[in-house]
Amino acid sequence: MDPRFIRNFSIVAHIDHGKSTLADQLLLQTGTITQREFRDQILDDLDVERERGITVKARAVAINYEQDGQVYELNLVDTPGHVDFHYEVSRSLAACEGALLLVDAFQGVQAQTVANAYAAIESDLVIIPCINKIDLPVVRTAEVLDEMNSVLGIRPEEVLMVSGKSGIGITDVFRAIVERIPAPSGDSTAPLKAMIFDGKYDNYRGVVTYVRMREGRLRKGMKIALMRKGTSHEVLEVGQFRPNMAPCDELGPGQVGYFIAGIKELGGVHVGDTVTEANRPASDPFPGYKQPQQMVFCGMYPIEKTDFEKLRDELSKMSLNDASFTFVPETSDALGFGFRCGFLGMLHMEIIQQRLEKEANIDLIQTAPNVTYELLMMDGEIQKIDNPQDVPNTGGIKEFREPIVKVNFILPVDGIGPIMQLCADRRGIYKSTEYLGTTRAQLVYELPLAEVIYDMHDRLKSITRGYGTFDYEIIGFRPADLVKVDILVKGVRVDALASIMHRDNAERRGRGLCKRLKEEISKHQFEIPIQAAIGTRIIARETIAALRKNVTAKCYGGDITRKRKLWAKQREGKKRLKQFGEVEIPQKAFLSVLDVSDDM
Amino acid sequence: MTERTGVFPATGDTAFVETLAPFRVPRSAYIHVPFCRHRCGYCDFTLVAGRDDLIERYLSAMERELATLQTPRSVDTLFLGGGTPTHLAPAQLERFLELLRTWFDLARDAEFSVEANPRDLLESDRVNVLARLGVNRISLGVQSFDDTVLKRLERDHQADEVERVVEHLSRLIPNVALDLIFGVPGQTLESWRATLERAIALRPAHVSTYGLTFEKGTTFWTRRSKGELSPAPEDLEYEMYALAMDRLPAAGYGHYELSNFARPGRDCRHNETYWAGRPCFAFGPGAARYIAGVREIGHRSTTSWLAKVEAGESPVGYREELTAEDRAREALIVGLRRTRGVSRDEFARDHGFNLDELGRSAWDRLCQRGLIEATEGGYRLTRAGRFLADTVTVEFVGTT
Ligand SMILES: Nc1nc2c(ncn2[C@@H]2O[C@H](COP(=O)(O)OP(=O)(O)O)[C@@H](O)[C@H]2O)c(=O)[nH]1
Ligand code: SF4
Ligand SMILES: [Mg+2]
Repeated sequence: MDPRFIRNFSIVAHIDHGKSTLADQLLLQTGTITQREFRDQILDDLDVERERGITVKARAVAINYEQDGQVYELNLVDTPGHVDFHYEVSRSLAACEGALLLVDAFQGVQAQTVANAYAAIESDLVIIPCINKIDLPVVRTAEVLDEMNSVLGIRPEEVLMVSGKSGIGITDVFRAIVERIPAPSGDSTAPLKAMIFDGKYDNYRGVVTYVRMREGRLRKGMKIALMRKGTSHEVLEVGQFRPNMAPCDELGPGQVGYFIAGIKELGGVHVGDTVTEANRPASDPFPGYKQPQQMVFCGMYPIEKTDFEKLRDELSKMSLNDASFTFVPETSDALGFGFRCGFLGMLHMEIIQQRLEKEANIDLIQTAPNVTYELLMMDGEIQKIDNPQDVPNTGGIKEFREPIVKVNFILPVDGIGPIMQLCADRRGIYKSTEYLGTTRAQLVYELPLAEVIYDMHDRLKSITRGYGTFDYEIIGFRPADLVKVDILVKGVRVDALASIMHRDNAERRGRGLCKRLKEEISKHQFEIPIQAAIGTRIIARETIAALRKNVTAKCYGGDITRKRKLWAKQREGKKRLKQFGEVEIPQKAFLSVLDVSDDM
Repeated sequence: MTERTGVFPATGDTAFVETLAPFRVPRSAYIHVPFCRHRCGYCDFTLVAGRDDLIERYLSAMERELATLQTPRSVDTLFLGGGTPTHLAPAQLERFLELLRTWFDLARDAEFSVEANPRDLLESDRVNVLARLGVNRISLGVQSFDDTVLKRLERDHQADEVERVVEHLSRLIPNVALDLIFGVPGQTLESWRATLERAIALRPAHVSTYGLTFEKGTTFWTRRSKGELSPAPEDLEYEMYALAMDRLPAAGYGHYELSNFARPGRDCRHNETYWAGRPCFAFGPGAARYIAGVREIGHRSTTSWLAKVEAGESPVGYREELTAEDRAREALIVGLRRTRGVSRDEFARDHGFNLDELGRSAWDRLCQRGLIEATEGGYRLTRAGRFLADTVTVEFVGTT
């Protein structure tokens, strides 16, 4: 394929602004899929995505498009739009020369519009701005043009008017792709040089590696080398996604596709690695992607001890499909052997968890998530803390540092007051306010990540009746007066319930935590004190009274039938309990740290 | 209708009857009478209130249903429960009891019990009918001797009426049992103590004490969820149950089952059938029969039950056949409700399982927790265990 007729592009937008729908429309209009095959958002093929209506994993599709007698190959890389998946966005952007930027004709510029647009600009991509959903009965086109201009410096005459759903303006989109996005360059006679930007594991064929070609050719039967580790493999299949895997003879410069090389071992392929020829290697590899930073951690433990190895296998598979997810073995006195898993954010965590339960069918106990911390020790050493129980109980800590994020809110002006109050309560540092027209504004704060991840999204949505959005980026670690709060259940410290919080909040949150646990743990034959403690100092206490009477009064004739079902259910429920000393704690309790709302 | 008679062993034909308890020939029968004047707020029994127009249809339907027995059966216990059997008019009651007597041959020392509402027995007409037709045990729904508690329970009688009823009733039918309820919203420990004392003073043969429960579908349930009614605190319920456990035995009533106390020799023989896992005939809506290991429960809706019978169809609304192990587990659970507990030998003989194997580590665990104690030939609940019988039970149920 002559690179002059190739265009590689992504679609970026705030969530729900219509990326997947537009992608479908592009596939449909070029006959890449037929109307019969068409189902809404065909690219969102993971169950989890269909359920949640969001795109999590990037997808690459090759489209043949004919214009003025010339056939072009358009490679579309679909990207996720959620703040947790910045990493995936930048990965897919690196495989492109241009990006369609979609803005909803009614909702206008939102927080992730800004974040994604900047990511594309930083990757030197040509941006084709579009106002999407212009078929909506109520649109604010003029104001949205204003917003795009004031926040992103986009000139109104560049902007296309589109409806991905009804097909309005799609021809203009194709033209703009061909005319505005530069063709990729690359020497087809040079040694092979391709970048791995994604991969998935296929149970029968091993690893399917997604590549963006830069130079040379990739063919079936070729001996290739992965430069990072120097391993070499024979290529068994090369192909493109149309949108299903379609083998082809070769891939040349600028093309996007996949290869299969019988790589069976998980972890044999690294995103960002350079693929080259074994006998004629490229002179210098790509710098590779910068590793994404996991900011949210939680423990995952199999309920059945015997599932530990199975869990490890499943996590390995998951991490190949999603390089932004990490896991390392850990042990808890309370929960036994499990893994500490790192995620980009909360949504990322929920999605991985859901996939695990669906695909792997392992019953899990998950501990409440926490952000990652840094400890500066007296001796100058810096310790990374991914698990509250790793905070040393003895002294030796000079500084306790937490991750800080710059948060960008875009919201209706009447939400400014309440959000500023919320940020003040959450230890935020005010940065700036910028008005986007008369009704909306952009508000910037620096906040501890821990104060943002759990419920900021819900709070913002409720304060702004759904019209506010936010996005954040990590700006570094800062010292804070943080403490580890332990939970003691009937005198036994339950390591998996420990959490880290600001000293000023410790008493209030500790109390809230004890209260929540009191609701979660059912009565036992004896009294159960639940205490929150900083070191040896008790800061809160609740007591679960002893169970005194639990007896069915009537048991005649058919009564037993009804009762037996109830008892069987209780018996079943006991399986999901963990024993701590004499006390049985239900799985849900380990997440209760999360539910301690501000007003408790 | 012959196809519905399969589960009844024909008299004399014991060839297929196994030796295990549930497979023996039933020697007990339960009859459900689903009528009441009005539905009390806590009650979720099978009944219709204010539908006396259905009584005649019910009597005819019972005639058809009983005919499925094909031949009169000899029984040791016959029990009429409800609803309120005594809600039938005296003439209806008489016809009904006569009908039952034609299908059930009472053994010489048989127990023939009828549940009664005190107000229905204020006049002597129904008492005379009951006595004449051989009823020799009356279970009286007294509930309380405190008028405010009776009102809260929405009962239609008053405390001092009970004394009058028991007085003239026991001249004709001396075996009188009183049913009492504790843990009623607003009821105090003192009120309960006074109720127990007045019950004892009447010298009944038997006393049942039931902790009030809130059942789905009752007005009490709805009122509790709306916050209009607050259940008795658990500690108070404990005290009340403990008081009954102390006071009744001191007055000569043995605590022979979790909710039942009796003078020597006056244990309710009919109910013993259930706790021993023995078979039982049953007729009427919501009535549970247990024959040859199969439990069948009549439709809980009286009108559906009537319609089915009238159409010549089976009025069974629920049927279950447990595995041998689950049957044994059930027998273990109900067996533990009796103060004497369960005995290894009897259990092996009647239910075909080894007690220790069935309970495995649960016995030790529960003994350690002080809820179960070993007896000479088996196990029983300790006093502490009686308060937490359901906690014990959960350890023994199957997980199916
Ligand atoms: N009216 C209208 N609705 C659209 C259009 N494009 C997408 N939608 C709707 O907007 C919602 C989000 O679309 P989706 O493509 O999943 O957005 P994504 O999150 O950016 O991938 C869906 O309910 C779509 O049906 C459009 O052009 N017009
Ligand atoms: S009288 Fe007895 S059976 Fe009838 S409604 Fe009241 S409690 Fe229920
Ligand atoms: Mg989508």
